[in-house]
Amino acid sequence: MCKSNLLMPESATIQEVVQETANIKTFRITLDDEQKMKDFSFMPGQVGQLTAFGTGESTFVINSSPTRMDYLQFSVMQVGEVTQRLHQLRPGDTVGVRAPLGNSFDVESMKGKDIVFIGGGIGMAPLRTLLVYMLDNREEYGDITLLYGARSPADLSYKTDLDEWKQRDDINIHLTVDVETPDWDGTVGLIPNVLKDINPASKNGVAVTCGPPIMIKFTLMALQELGFEDDQIVTTLEKRMKCGVGLCGRCNIGSKYVCIDGPVFTYAQLKELPAEL
Amino acid sequence: MGRKYIAENDVIAWLDTLADDNLVIAPVAETGTVIYRPYLPGTEVELTNRPVSSPKEAVFPQTELLFSYKQDKDPEHPDRTKVDMKEATPDRSTVFFGPRPCGTRGISMFDKVYNCGKMQDAYYVTRRENTAFVTIACSRPDATCFCHSVGSGPADTEGSDVLLTPVNGGFVAEAVTDKGKDLLASPLFADAGKLEQEANAVVEKAREMLGDPHDFSEAESSLYNLFDDMDFWEEQAAKCINCGACTYLCPTCHCFNITDQNVGLSGRRIRTWDNCMSFEFTLEGSGHNPRPTKAHRLKNRLGHKFAYYPENNEGLVACCGCGRCIERCPSGVDIRAIVLAAKERSNVQK
Amino acid sequence: MSLDQLKRLIKAVLPDLDMVIGWEQGHDCLTASPVFIKTEEDIEKLQIGPLAVHNLATFLPGLKGKKVGVVVKGCDSRAAVQLLQEKLIDQADVTIFGFGCNGIISHAKLRKQFNGMGRASSMTQNGDTITIEHDGETTTLPFNDVCADKCLTCEHPNAVIHDHFAGERVERKPVTTENPALAEFEKLPLNERLDFWQEQMSRCIRCHACRNACPMCVCRDHCLATSREPNWIGQDTSPRENLMFQMTHTLHLAGRCVECGECERACPMDIPVFLLRKKMADEVKSLFDYDAGIVLDAKPPLMTFETNERNIKE
Repeated sequence: MCKSNLLMPESATIQEVVQETANIKTFRITLDDEQKMKDFSFMPGQVGQLTAFGTGESTFVINSSPTRMDYLQFSVMQVGEVTQRLHQLRPGDTVGVRAPLGNSFDVESMKGKDIVFIGGGIGMAPLRTLLVYMLDNREEYGDITLLYGARSPADLSYKTDLDEWKQRDDINIHLTVDVETPDWDGTVGLIPNVLKDINPASKNGVAVTCGPPIMIKFTLMALQELGFEDDQIVTTLEKRMKCGVGLCGRCNIGSKYVCIDGPVFTYAQLKELPAEL
Repeated sequence: MGRKYIAENDVIAWLDTLADDNLVIAPVAETGTVIYRPYLPGTEVELTNRPVSSPKEAVFPQTELLFSYKQDKDPEHPDRTKVDMKEATPDRSTVFFGPRPCGTRGISMFDKVYNCGKMQDAYYVTRRENTAFVTIACSRPDATCFCHSVGSGPADTEGSDVLLTPVNGGFVAEAVTDKGKDLLASPLFADAGKLEQEANAVVEKAREMLGDPHDFSEAESSLYNLFDDMDFWEEQAAKCINCGACTYLCPTCHCFNITDQNVGLSGRRIRTWDNCMSFEFTLEGSGHNPRPTKAHRLKNRLGHKFAYYPENNEGLVACCGCGRCIERCPSGVDIRAIVLAAKERSNVQK
Repeated sequence: MSLDQLKRLIKAVLPDLDMVIGWEQGHDCLTASPVFIKTEEDIEKLQIGPLAVHNLATFLPGLKGKKVGVVVKGCDSRAAVQLLQEKLIDQADVTIFGFGCNGIISHAKLRKQFNGMGRASSMTQNGDTITIEHDGETTTLPFNDVCADKCLTCEHPNAVIHDHFAGERVERKPVTTENPALAEFEKLPLNERLDFWQEQMSRCIRCHACRNACPMCVCRDHCLATSREPNWIGQDTSPRENLMFQMTHTLHLAGRCVECGECERACPMDIPVFLLRKKMADEVKSLFDYDAGIVLDAKPPLMTFETNERNIKE
């Protein structure tokens, strides 16, 4: 058909698979069409639909930064049919990609601000792409603080990235776990509590947070206690998306579609929507 | 072009000539229900009773092939597979004959979602370009009809290419679009002349039979006000049995599912109608469901039609007032009653 | 009068219940609709009669945990019995109001008769005829011509289980022993039967009204029709997949179907799906001499066995 077909995936090859945790794998893929890979552009926060041929499609944030285009990275937590099939794939296998979809973080308005990243579990995935983007454009942003928590040390992803970032002096890294193990000598505590201990300044701050619903709820409360206004808090929503292009009617919250008007929303925007998360 | 006229006996001949170059779809009565079937010379076309299905299937088939795929072993690297995808291209020129205005109006609502500036659905747009809708104006509304309460009427031309109004012995025909003009070029059509007045009278009578419209103003604000009032929605949803009859018969409902149907190493990706009344519609992989009960889902359905869609489309209500959902709901859930109850409840809360 | 007595019975017990499910006036003179009675004012909306077509027992499993009253005619009460047998509802939480039914209307038959139902302005029943005013014309028909097929073969017009019974017991005998539609279908030679179902299933829109209206459906939100793992039935709406669903649902009902016919009544495309279930129920009857939903402590034949089955030659 002569129209560009929003529902037709591009074929792509898995270059590398990294086992992050027991149930999270990171896939680095390249589009098979070299020109399209060269022309591919996106901004942090945008997502893609990955096809495991024979099983189906599922939505994942593009986890790499647009400043590093050797590959497109997606982190996949195994929860259902499609993710299970994806986890069986290996380097050299073909997947389908429909990307980029959705909106992105408002990096322009974040320039000059002090950024606080708060990620819980797989919620770290969308934060990573923005964090790397900012580190690659470091002078444009103020202080950068990362608070990343998971249930246990074994559930922390991006260990290579974390080791690299800990070596830098232009980013503050705080890791925490809910349940410690003998080899853990870091903080033990729930994210909202640790956040309050860190006590980031709200005056020039932007908080970017993502994680399980219960974590978001209490993190929001903590941020408000610390003085963050609603439009200083940004999150990205996970919702069951099918078409990813505003057609199938599934991902709406009120009159907004998470796949077009989101998945990135400020808390101020979320408050205007009906409470249906 | 002024209006034309075709005798009832010539309608079949007209469809026969159209069938030479087009796929013609026409209403056929089966077991007391009227549905759309491909027309072939000899098919008995039902012209009086309104089809129970809506015309959306012309541009939004219940099952649509998106593409087929085949996984092949890579001969250079036997442990790898590569995939060939073959896009499906609907390209049949179609004349869709026999819907009522309350059905075809739904097509123009689809246009605003599937063919708007932001997003274009390639399959829909292709079918839409290749399809002409020949609508029959309504001369006898049912008790469940309320097209006039949602900005429509018995002779609404939204979405149609030709509008036929039944008169004594035949139909007065109006070309709504250029595509429609071409269809009426057949020598079976004469000038309507004085019959235009009879056609107008038929439509007027239908309007009278509809009675007074319901007042759905403020539906949007009422529904937003009641979003957290789960007691109200539980009461309204009590008799709903969560099937998809209302959704699938509705001319404007456009939600779909995408699934891969696999046989060995090859398969098809299809999209199929889906309905927001089912539990699994918003069920997430983690097990969390934003709309866990039928009350939540009924609220979303009403919200979408009378609040969210209008908010995104300058107040246009995503309901044609055809009443199919009321007539065929196994429990008799009445969308008109729910909207009016929402208004009343919202006013009381103020 | 049954209705008045029924209202009094409900009024007396309503304070102890969360709700009572009955019927009320529908959107026109030819329809009724389920009503969930919670207050004394609600009781006034109650209606019974030939328009009370819905099997209200179907709402009971979804209301487990609440104290619910339900009004049932004969066929509905069989569903209540079956639900109790299978422990899908708790006897302690359910109060059953039974009455004697004189038959219900089939809207599908009325649609065929009047070429669409939408403009009826009145309906009255006089003994064994029914008079409908439609489009300015008055038509009187024998009730047996427009009642549901199940009413013609009904052997249980009075509720078979009840905590309260309103009105007199009805003395109504079956008009015929064979379901007329099934008898008609069985005249078809085998090779034409599949054609019949291919055509019927090509109208099916997979709305699952048949499944959701069935009181005995247990799978509900976790139906195999929408299961991906394993993928029993494709999502494509071909006659083949549609028929696969019908067959599966019918088999799920073997020995459990109470022949209430709600599946067919609910179908918006007027597909005679009850033929499949009725045939299944007849097979069970001839193999095991068993009718579902009659005796509370009976054991459904497919949930037990005899060491020597009477009608199965091994």
